[in-house]
Amino acid sequence: MMNIIGITACTAGIAHTYIAKEKLVNAAKELGHNVKIETQGTIGTEDELTKEDIEKADIVIIAADINIGGKERFKGKKVIDVPMQTAIKSPKTLIQKIEEKLRS
Amino acid sequence: MDVTDVINLNAIDLYLQVDDKKGAIEVLSELLFKDGSIRSKEEFINDVYLREAQGMTGIGDFIAIPHGKSDSVVKTCIAVGRVDKGIAWETIDDKPVKLIILFAVDNKSKNNQHVKLMAKVAGALANKKVCDALLEAESPEDVLSIFKQN
Repeated sequence: MMNIIGITACTAGIAHTYIAKEKLVNAAKELGHNVKIETQGTIGTEDELTKEDIEKADIVIIAADINIGGKERFKGKKVIDVPMQTAIKSPKTLIQKIEEKLRS
Repeated sequence: MDVTDVINLNAIDLYLQVDDKKGAIEVLSELLFKDGSIRSKEEFINDVYLREAQGMTGIGDFIAIPHGKSDSVVKTCIAVGRVDKGIAWETIDDKPVKLIILFAVDNKSKNNQHVKLMAKVAGALANKKVCDALLEAESPEDVLSIFKQN
């Protein structure tokens, strides 16, 4: 089991951000991981990652089409940047790839 | 406040008579206009295409979520249309689009309840069961109750 954290953010900050978040959360849970995803959208930042979340995290997934805020928080962490599209289209495959990568 | 505040039965058409993306956006915008949710159809459609130009809004599994953040929006809300034969759209899985969920967002609204509800509706679309139910919905009331439950 991994502790997965991440951030989603899209150009308009209305729809994709929230679909990607749910997809990542659902896929991660299905594969038996702990997961918390912060959203940076029109309504501001929600489910903001805490210092503790970040400390515990094995991997940080950033699924964004725009520059996200607060990237410096992840200094020293394993960070994976993916296009928004990947998180929406194949969240499970993405997480399975991360599993493999961390195992090797 | 719940999703019924952003989804209006008058702006749901499950039997859209259109052949393409342009037609779908046109007809759904017309519904929003008639309903008084947008001030200018032309201006709103322009803003929808502005967003289309930034990246695809087809999220796969026959669903598209075009959206316009626009000064022409009077009331932040959603229009829903369905074309059972499917139409061409830029999508992440190259499948045609049957269900179009058009988000109209007031350009000035930042941190308000309506936009939060939109985010909730979007999040629900991550669930395949919700998408399948919407593709099978038989009435605007069905659509509303699917979103209410999720």
